[in-house]
Amino acid sequence: MKNFAPAASLALLAALLLTAPTFAKRAAPRKNADDHPLSIPAGDNDQTLRAMRDELERARTRLVIPGVDKPFYIEYRLIDVDLRTVTASFGALLASSTTRSRQMVVDVRVGNYHLDSSNFLSEDGFQGFLGRTGQVGIDRDYHSLRQDLWLATDQAYKEAVTQMSLKQAFLRSLTKPPEIDDFAQAQPVVRVDPRGEPDWTSRKWEEEARLASAALKNFPQLYGTRVTYSLLYTTTYRMTSEGTLIRESHHIAGIEAGMDTEAEDGMPLRNFYAYYSLDPSGLPDAASVAKGLTEAASDLSAERDAALVPDYTGPVLFDAPAAAQTLAQVLEPSLSGARPPLATTNEFEEFLDRYGGRSEWTGRVNTRVLPTSVSLIDDPTAKDFGGTPLLGRYDLDAEGVPGQRVSVVENGLLKNLLMSRRPGPDFYASNGHARSAMLSDPQPLSSNLFFQSSSALSPADLHKKFMDACKDDGHEWCLEVRRMADPALSALQSEDFSEFVGEMAGGFGNGMRMPLLVYRVYVTDGHKEPVRGGILDALTLRSLRNMLAIGNDSTVYTYMQNAADALAGTALGSFGSIQNGIPSTIISPSILLDDVEVRGFHGEPRRLPLVPPPPLE
Amino acid sequence: MKSQRNVRSLLLGLIVSASAWACPAAEGARDGSITLPPVLNAMQVELDRSFAALSKGDPAAYFISYTVSDRNYAEVSGSNGALLSSSEDRARWLEVQTRVGGYHLDDTHKIADRQPSWSSPGTTVSLDDDLAVLRREVWRETDRQYRAASQALIKVKTSQQVQVQTAEGAAPDFSAEAPHVSIGQRVDLHVDRKPWEERVRRYTAEFSKSPYTLNSIVTFTALGMNQYQTDTEGAKIAFGEVHYRLELFVQSKAPDGMDIQRYANFDWLDPKEAPDDQTVSGAVQRLIHETEALDQAPLADPYAGPTLLTGRAAAVFFHEVFGHRVEGFRQKDISEGQTFTSKIGEQIMPDFISIKDDPTEKALNGQMLLGYYPFDDEGVAGTNTLLVDRGVLKTFLMSRSPLRDVPHSNGHGRRQLGFTPVARQGNLIVSSSNGMPFSELRQKLIDMVKQEHLPYGLLIDDIEGGFTFTGRGQPQAFQVTPLVVYRVFADGRPDQLVRGVNIVGTPLVSLSKIVGTSDKQEIFNGYCGAESGSVPVSAVAPAVLISEMEFAKKETSTDRPPILPPPAHDPQAKGQQP
Repeated sequence: MKNFAPAASLALLAALLLTAPTFAKRAAPRKNADDHPLSIPAGDNDQTLRAMRDELERARTRLVIPGVDKPFYIEYRLIDVDLRTVTASFGALLASSTTRSRQMVVDVRVGNYHLDSSNFLSEDGFQGFLGRTGQVGIDRDYHSLRQDLWLATDQAYKEAVTQMSLKQAFLRSLTKPPEIDDFAQAQPVVRVDPRGEPDWTSRKWEEEARLASAALKNFPQLYGTRVTYSLLYTTTYRMTSEGTLIRESHHIAGIEAGMDTEAEDGMPLRNFYAYYSLDPSGLPDAASVAKGLTEAASDLSAERDAALVPDYTGPVLFDAPAAAQTLAQVLEPSLSGARPPLATTNEFEEFLDRYGGRSEWTGRVNTRVLPTSVSLIDDPTAKDFGGTPLLGRYDLDAEGVPGQRVSVVENGLLKNLLMSRRPGPDFYASNGHARSAMLSDPQPLSSNLFFQSSSALSPADLHKKFMDACKDDGHEWCLEVRRMADPALSALQSEDFSEFVGEMAGGFGNGMRMPLLVYRVYVTDGHKEPVRGGILDALTLRSLRNMLAIGNDSTVYTYMQNAADALAGTALGSFGSIQNGIPSTIISPSILLDDVEVRGFHGEPRRLPLVPPPPLE
Repeated sequence: MKSQRNVRSLLLGLIVSASAWACPAAEGARDGSITLPPVLNAMQVELDRSFAALSKGDPAAYFISYTVSDRNYAEVSGSNGALLSSSEDRARWLEVQTRVGGYHLDDTHKIADRQPSWSSPGTTVSLDDDLAVLRREVWRETDRQYRAASQALIKVKTSQQVQVQTAEGAAPDFSAEAPHVSIGQRVDLHVDRKPWEERVRRYTAEFSKSPYTLNSIVTFTALGMNQYQTDTEGAKIAFGEVHYRLELFVQSKAPDGMDIQRYANFDWLDPKEAPDDQTVSGAVQRLIHETEALDQAPLADPYAGPTLLTGRAAAVFFHEVFGHRVEGFRQKDISEGQTFTSKIGEQIMPDFISIKDDPTEKALNGQMLLGYYPFDDEGVAGTNTLLVDRGVLKTFLMSRSPLRDVPHSNGHGRRQLGFTPVARQGNLIVSSSNGMPFSELRQKLIDMVKQEHLPYGLLIDDIEGGFTFTGRGQPQAFQVTPLVVYRVFADGRPDQLVRGVNIVGTPLVSLSKIVGTSDKQEIFNGYCGAESGSVPVSAVAPAVLISEMEFAKKETSTDRPPILPPPAHDPQAKGQQP
């Protein structure tokens, strides 16, 4: 077993959130190992479930420190990851790799449903030598996995015992300890699917990446480009002391491309292209990708020559894809009904504020939160919308609970929230919305989110309404946003995204949003001109309570929610990529908002490169 | 314009003195007819174009260098009898250095105690030999580094006006060196990972047979590296190296919670020299035996007295307490302890000891030296450098960051990919003019123990590289962790293995207390981590006897051993076999 690198200090969010809780199920103590019927198909030589069962059983019956609580909940999670990625730039190959790995996370809790060792963040804690997470053998054999699970279970138990005593001490210091349970109960689930085997032969990955990216040679004004094809196969295993036993295989393929350049005044400009499909055969061919890239590059080139947007307050029309991206950023933090963990420091609170992770809908059930015509539904069981597959679909969530359709908002009134097995002040039970990628901590997130209105306008009527509102405000022109920025996809290097999170992300807590393609639309004749450099300010849930109009042009926006513990569920959570992301969709129409504040660019222009770019041919 | 001309004449002067001093004149340099590999060609074309413009910029660039590391890497890793991973990867990594200002004062000048900003993570570049795409990436990175350097220079100039300069701070920031033109053979890596997958499974399964083993990892790696360098002084270098490595690692826990770990490694250059199964299995058995013995060994008491270090242990000791302190850049940095800064020409250890660092040696007595390289990461040829001559300190390990008294590089500017090169060790070789057979040295230890009326002396057989505190803010002490320590009794009882001690003390004192050495050198190959990342090094030394060394108790883990026995060694466990 290889250790995950220990966090250098507890001060940081990452460390705080790595210990964020997962939630246990109803303990239904079993008498012996045979209670876990391992319905593994004949001829399947995967020893994983057998090793998990035997070690879990040994721990459940015999793992105890004299004088201390026994574990009341034990959970094993494993993931097999087979990943193929190919990256090309301007027709040349930058990287090509195929990797296979397996990770393990063990969770042990002491206490009971009402009060257990989870859901608590503290600066102190147990420092073990191998930890309860790590990379384990990929042979799907019996003995090495038992050895790894044995040590991880031992470490997890000692960690739980330490956490429990710290938590109890902390609770005694509070005048009114929270009354909400730590665990919600749920029915155990047994489901063993056939294991999916990776197949890399369905596409000519390197050839297609070279071919598609070569289209960008027609845009020598671009500084850099990256076109990445990814194909990811995962098999997840989940076993709990309550009797849940799951083996599921999934796969997803994607093309993600970023490109950048600078305007004449030195303003950095970026664009992206993304396409996802559960099956590799669903990806477009190289010629179609080349076409999509060409379109993105043309838009970016037009941005270079676009005028700077001045400060502006007034109506803004969000085209459907931009509306979907905006809704993802604004709504996601408030969809979760789970309560935040108890913490001995206020760093967690500060973090929620900084990245826009705080729910504004807690305690607002049955009050109006959106326009009265609007309903909001999250439906992991939906397969497609108008023929477009919905990638947020799943049967069981990351805690083994069947995914349920949840009607969050009806006629503008808040009716429900997305729940994992972590209860909150408004709702107790899970409705199957715990989501996770690569064994990240499961938390309540959207899957396929439908934003619908009972009084939607045709595109022509919507445009007219937009222009009328613009006139009424006395503007010569108003702004239309075609797409929002996605720094996770447009960044050419992963450090660029980290830099963005470090420098810019704080604004998202105050409702800062970054548009990508913005046009001013003139009242006189409706003609459009691209503009650049604007940032939307203070666009929060409150801005969505009243909308000027909603279109009837719903489209599916497919994206990857970032599963990183520090980002998932915050306003930044919609910035993910296939390798760390949770497949999700938002089905949204165009929306027209009033009184949107746009901040124009006020910085100092940067100087352009002293040396012009070399030719591409 | 005037200042520029001055810089150029200074540059010419330095080159002349440089070639006279250390570097062989580049034969191919005047011969314009050499054929450059495609990558180097793309770098060169872009270098010429960039320098033509940036050398006239404001601020003017006076030096630009490009390095592309074309790295083919295979790794097979196993744990507890199963494969952890098996993969092969290829990547080309570009690093750009753009210096603005002049050799004497440039953007890299260290400002007081501020840590230098490592602004050169570099970037991946095309694996295809596509000239246009390679040039595009090089251009982009050059612009990025030039912008960063321009901003850094402003800060440097401001600090010059407001801060007092130290004596070593007056040394130039960069040395001009005679350029090398050397186009070597490209190397290719062809590895069949299958047999290694079986071997790592087998070796780690062998470890698991011991109930003392908590965890074991065995890793085979093969690295084929082709490095291309070019700079505006005229260097054009291409060379390739292949290196194979097998590492064995086992972890255990003593009953009191102390972590026990044993490690062994094999390094080789030619696939034919790979260690055979029997050799590796022997090492596995030795590590298991040592682990089991250490688990049961008593805790050592604090001790001060005569101590014998075997060759391998002494090699690590010299690397840590001497080698790191003669790295040139530390002499310039006021936040460093500067133990040896003013000691050139002084006796710092007994006169029977001489030390050199010789990166040009590929092997010693038929055994590979891991710190070999033809050119360092600043394009300077690796040079055999005599550091200590019969106990007297002669010079420092130098990169292209000069000192007042040592104005040139001796080819020790090294880095891990993505770090800025600084002076580092290569093959640190300690020799003695006064060696005796190990058995005599051991007897000498016993004699000293008797003289001092001590019950026992200590024999250190293996040392894990500790962390050498060289900074001024920390005590000028070193702490290295001895992994295998024996008590050697004065009364002739058999040696007793003990655990749980750290060596403590101050380096100058311990070096001066060497009283004898063996007549046989031993080699330690490893990776050394410091300011410029992790670099492959060797340390070579005979066994040494030190008249007084101090040992303190090691901080031990409070984490108790696992509550349940290992699943494969649990008499009560059921359902063992699927």
